[in-house]
Amino acid sequence: MSTAVDAIRKHARLFAAYFRFNLAAVMEYRASFLMQVFGMAINNASFIFFWKIVYLRVPAVAGYEFRDVMFLWALSAAAFGVAHVCFGNCGSLGRVIIQGELDPYLLQPKDVYFNVICSKTIVSAWGDTAYGIILYLLVYGFAPGRFALFLGFVALGGLLIASARFAAETLTFFLGNASAISRLLTEFMISFSLYPEKIFGNSVRWMMYSLAPAGFVVFVPHRIYRSLTLASLPLLLVADVVYLFLGYMLFRAGLKRYESGNLVVTRV
Amino acid sequence: MLAIKTNALTKVFRTKVKESGLRGSVSALFRPHHRDVYAVRGIDLTVEKGEVLAFIGPNGAGKSTTIKMLTGILHPTSGSATVLGLDPLRKRKQLAYRIGSVFGQKSQLWFHLPPQDSFRLLAGIYELDERQYRERFGALVELFELEDLLKVPVRKLSLGQRVRCEIAASLLHRPEVIFLDEPTIGLDVVAKQRIRDLIARLNREEGTTIFLTSHDAGDIERVCKRVIIINHGEVVLDESVKTLRYSYLQKKIISVKYAEKTKVDIPGVDKTRESEYAARIEVSTARRPLREVVAELMGLGEVVDITISDQPLEEIIAGIYMDRGRGGEADEPDTGTGR
Repeated sequence: MSTAVDAIRKHARLFAAYFRFNLAAVMEYRASFLMQVFGMAINNASFIFFWKIVYLRVPAVAGYEFRDVMFLWALSAAAFGVAHVCFGNCGSLGRVIIQGELDPYLLQPKDVYFNVICSKTIVSAWGDTAYGIILYLLVYGFAPGRFALFLGFVALGGLLIASARFAAETLTFFLGNASAISRLLTEFMISFSLYPEKIFGNSVRWMMYSLAPAGFVVFVPHRIYRSLTLASLPLLLVADVVYLFLGYMLFRAGLKRYESGNLVVTRV
Repeated sequence: MLAIKTNALTKVFRTKVKESGLRGSVSALFRPHHRDVYAVRGIDLTVEKGEVLAFIGPNGAGKSTTIKMLTGILHPTSGSATVLGLDPLRKRKQLAYRIGSVFGQKSQLWFHLPPQDSFRLLAGIYELDERQYRERFGALVELFELEDLLKVPVRKLSLGQRVRCEIAASLLHRPEVIFLDEPTIGLDVVAKQRIRDLIARLNREEGTTIFLTSHDAGDIERVCKRVIIINHGEVVLDESVKTLRYSYLQKKIISVKYAEKTKVDIPGVDKTRESEYAARIEVSTARRPLREVVAELMGLGEVVDITISDQPLEEIIAGIYMDRGRGGEADEPDTGTGR
């Protein structure tokens, strides 16, 4: 037990070290950092006007009012942002494998999966995160309990998005290049999570709770938030653990097929 | 005490073969053909602790693939390896605390940040406490003369400066064995010599086992005591550097350019190329001392440029094959993978 706790503590320290380090690296180019952050926030904000116009004509869409849709937008943006701020390599593992860039991670005394996934940050994702949180606060105001619940959903959703993307990218070990699959999965997840759940047909909704788990990122949290009953909360934890485990096992199996490479590589 | 032991270590890469052009691509889509490429073929080797070993060979010979199997990056197709008594695959994390590695083509320093930031992160990864880190960091900064480089972003360092930082970074956790894969690649003569001196000093002062791969014959002569030459994934020669120098490294190549038309005619040397203003000659130092030949060349006219280099590794390997009655094998098409 103490060994497991020790391992968790060590990896938490590594995560914190990478977080600080990556933040320092993106700050090297302050103007670019600020432009990407604000650019992404403005890009996302433009969709609010679209929804505002829709809701001026109808009071609800598939049972969702304007505030509900904004909840989806705030949560999906913040969760997507957190996934790529904290686990920036979740969407680029395929390239890392193909270009033989796993070598430095394999040479270090850390779990390779964890080491790879949290060793990078995506600058524009800071904009997504900030946008999601600000949008939530503007629509729902600041109530500490509810805000903490929202942040909890952001953390769980971020972990799920990162795990799902990472699992898809891991298929590169077996297929040669899985970037198209990963891109498709991401687009599905984003598209599914931005519209009221009931506008989708049953087959799509089945997908939202399995292959492209957008349902666990936004719709289950939305139901919990609306009803304030935490009975479904374990479902979110299970979804996270399942995807994390799936990605981890695929990655471990795939490592045996890793072929490295001779491309000149620098770490940025 | 053994630092490294391999037993019939083999790595085969399965690669897709395709005819050129669109027709080839379409055909490969429906009927893909594969070919097995032997990067390493049954290598047996032992390296003692504290030894400085040169593991050399031409491009695609299997040097990097061997190193990657010894460090746990690649899974061998067959055979086995132990480093410091540990299986590099099963005990990868344990082994990582005890070995270091520098890949000339792959940086472990962050491109946009100063080296000291990367050192600090690596100290965290190797779980050094503050006191251990400060002590080691200070010693390495002094040994590698890094004081002026520590706060400069890596992207602004010269290649030689970056390699010094890379080697220092790989030594932070006091590895017992260090794998240096082409550390002098792309460096100029002065930077190469500096890196070679540092490697020799590291072995002398800390007793670190050095496993150095290179395709530069100069690296072996100046740093190593033992050399293993590998070609097409097989060990061609395993000798002391002294023996290698005596048997195969006696030939130097001199390229000389004159300010005016000059006829180069020196007894006891082989001319491989000559024009009105320049010549390229091969000197066997067993037949004629180098300084004598250089002095004669200088006496023939006003020299505007002169370079002295080692015989290319490919020619040395061809010479070894010739001696063993297997002439021509070194010229076979390259089956290596360059991984």
